[in-house]
Amino acid sequence: MNRRVVRVLGRALIALVLVSDVAAAQDAPPALAIGAHAIGLVTQATHTPEGRTLTEAYLTQPIVSADVRAGWLQAMGMLNFEGLTLRRGELDVGEWGEGYVDRRHPHAYLHELVVGAATSSAPVVASLYAGRGFVPFGSDDPMSRPFVSYPVDHHLAQLLERLVVVGAVRARALLLEAAAFDGDEPLDPSTPQLARRFADSWSVRGTLSHALPALGDAELAASYANVKSPEYREGQGLDQRKAHASLRVDGGGAFAHYVLAELARTTDVDRGRDLYTFDAALAEGAVCRDDAGLALRWERADRPEEERLVDLFRAPRPATDLSILGITQWTTLTVAAALPALRLFSAHAAPFVEAARIRVDRTTAALFDPLRFYGSNLMWRTSVGLRLGVGHDHRREGRYGAAVPTASTPLHAHDESFPAHCFR
Amino acid sequence: MKLARTCRLLSLVLLSGCLFDRGTAATPHASCALAGGSPSGGDAMAVIGCGIIDSRYTAEVAVRDSFAYTTTWGFRSAPGNMVAVWNVSGDEPVLVDSVIVSGSSTLGDVAISDDGALLVVATERTNGSLVVFDRSNPRHPRQLSRLATPETFNGVHTAEIGRIAGRLYAVLAVDPLGGAPTPESKIVIVDLGDPVNPREVYVKSVPGSAPFVHDTFLRDGLLFVALWNNGIEIWDLGGGGQGGTPAAPVVLGGVQTIGGDAHNVWWLHDPVSGSRYAFVGEESGPAQLGVSSVGDIHVLDVSDLAHPREVAFYHVPGAGTHNFSVDETNGILYAAYYNAGVRALDVRGDLETCTPAQQETTGNLVRCDLGAMARETGRGLSGGTPAVYVWGVQYVGGIVYASDMLNGLWKLRAVR
Repeated sequence: MNRRVVRVLGRALIALVLVSDVAAAQDAPPALAIGAHAIGLVTQATHTPEGRTLTEAYLTQPIVSADVRAGWLQAMGMLNFEGLTLRRGELDVGEWGEGYVDRRHPHAYLHELVVGAATSSAPVVASLYAGRGFVPFGSDDPMSRPFVSYPVDHHLAQLLERLVVVGAVRARALLLEAAAFDGDEPLDPSTPQLARRFADSWSVRGTLSHALPALGDAELAASYANVKSPEYREGQGLDQRKAHASLRVDGGGAFAHYVLAELARTTDVDRGRDLYTFDAALAEGAVCRDDAGLALRWERADRPEEERLVDLFRAPRPATDLSILGITQWTTLTVAAALPALRLFSAHAAPFVEAARIRVDRTTAALFDPLRFYGSNLMWRTSVGLRLGVGHDHRREGRYGAAVPTASTPLHAHDESFPAHCFR
Repeated sequence: MKLARTCRLLSLVLLSGCLFDRGTAATPHASCALAGGSPSGGDAMAVIGCGIIDSRYTAEVAVRDSFAYTTTWGFRSAPGNMVAVWNVSGDEPVLVDSVIVSGSSTLGDVAISDDGALLVVATERTNGSLVVFDRSNPRHPRQLSRLATPETFNGVHTAEIGRIAGRLYAVLAVDPLGGAPTPESKIVIVDLGDPVNPREVYVKSVPGSAPFVHDTFLRDGLLFVALWNNGIEIWDLGGGGQGGTPAAPVVLGGVQTIGGDAHNVWWLHDPVSGSRYAFVGEESGPAQLGVSSVGDIHVLDVSDLAHPREVAFYHVPGAGTHNFSVDETNGILYAAYYNAGVRALDVRGDLETCTPAQQETTGNLVRCDLGAMARETGRGLSGGTPAVYVWGVQYVGGIVYASDMLNGLWKLRAVR
């Protein structure tokens, strides 16, 4: 299967290079866009694993990004410095993944570096990108959405920081993407993926744009991924089957608005046998006028409970057998407000506040008991912060080339849809 | 207009979500109260007594003379870094002391040397180690040494001890750990001849196809290694006649057990039927600790050490097995069965001859079903109240001690 995927993608690459002569003939001048962003954040969370309220401050999501176009070739990259500023993780009770629990893990220094090309012969647009980046699965990277806190379903609804080759074809309102990638999730911010694991996993995603005219620019998407051993780097751990469906609506005007509703399911698989299934449902939206806005998110997501280490915010990777301590269900209601930004040339500083009511419930009588562990099954998280940015702004993360909704001739792989200014 | 519709849609979704908070079940606490107040809970293995530990999850048990030692696992309201010392001379186990092992989140295994002089404890996860205690005063074990090396760093899941040519050794099953210098699971053999200065003499990574090793069984210079998906291997450490030593083991043979997930082994020395059989515990999934488990007992005919064969099995619907202890004098195997309590099996005699009705065929392999052969001779703690999750058992002089993750230490009457 993997070899077949690689062969197909290889042939597609050759075809694309040939077709790209057309694009090269356009003789477009080279273009470079660079930007830097970070969020200064103070967060307070009640009922943490340490059994008390914690207040922490740090710089989160510190990134430097660049998009380059030279002829038909495009490249984009993003460096993420959370490995320096968030070594212990961002306090976010309910969040999990990559060995962190109740803290969001720091992302890889090389968050994204992909190179690709796209044809420009409408009405059919095709593209092929390769590098380390986003897998065409699920919804947009939470970093490009209105909330500073990541949803609990992050590891159910996105696949990122993988060695990936993504092919995409857009014909009118229909977009199809397919990818081959390595299944292993990052070990830590600095360790590169095992190259030998490239193409042991695959995904497909279909997107229908302008699907519901009554809701404006609505986008329906469904995706599926088969991921080999994401949590055991050497490849011998449980596999995952992942499915996702979403509706996304955005629009501009005096009151820019955005809505995302998604369903996600991940099933752990041992040698072809289903073990555990984790579900998530999420709905979020935002309304903005200029750079001030209000956003709301509701989420209910399952979380696997695993043995904790001496540091109760950490869980071992990989697991050493097939058992878990239970499945908890996290219901989170988050509200965020973006306040008018201070702007100077291309730089800005935008204050915001965010608050969340978090409820956790057991789904079985298995060992992990939230009441006993946290002291309550109802927690609160509040944050205040300042979004800092200068230069080019990465907008919608996770799609490349022909997969960018507005890209009939994709110069940048990130579209210019909502939110234009607020929550940025 | 479109904005208004979008806002209404979003509001509806959010409101409906808030209305459906789930209830959370009341927290169960450790308990010794059996269903209906019956001392047996309806089981053949009557309960003699119980010692409660509520703040931690209990793991393995080791017993000698009048003292039992139980380890602790994971995090309940306190970390699994405690060894509980029990006086078990009376009906009720009495907690008389505890030892905290620093820098550990789980103490997965505990064992006592054959002369009763030493107590060894395996520590997990990162910064794993083997801790050796002096049992001169069994009520208050005194730490003699702690072996923590790059080879044990990933976490020591179990430590089996045994004597080879008169010298004491420990065999460590080491966890895999992402990002570690050697991330794979390993077998580490430690010379305990000088317990103050334990010394690694052999290290071997398990094959990636395994990919875990949880437990081993050392007896008469042979080591039985449970290699998860790869089944069982038998190593000559000095008793196999193939020149193996603890520092240079020789693999004699192995067998892929049905279903894999081979977790633990007991090589039976039956005074009546000899050393023909080894019993393998399968720790499969899905398993939500505390409520569910999966996995059979597999019986291997090891009369030809180079070519062991699977000949029989024992299955409990809705539960899976964990560690064993065997009353070899009476030919009874006691198996911890997590949420199903404790099961006792008559393992004396021929286990691979049965009627067609007692057989099950998997592929080309025909196995006898010990359950259908009426080999089950007793149950303990299977009444359902209180809920139990039995990790380990040890048979000592007519008593079966059962370590229960949820409640602590049970003292049960053996079936014979």
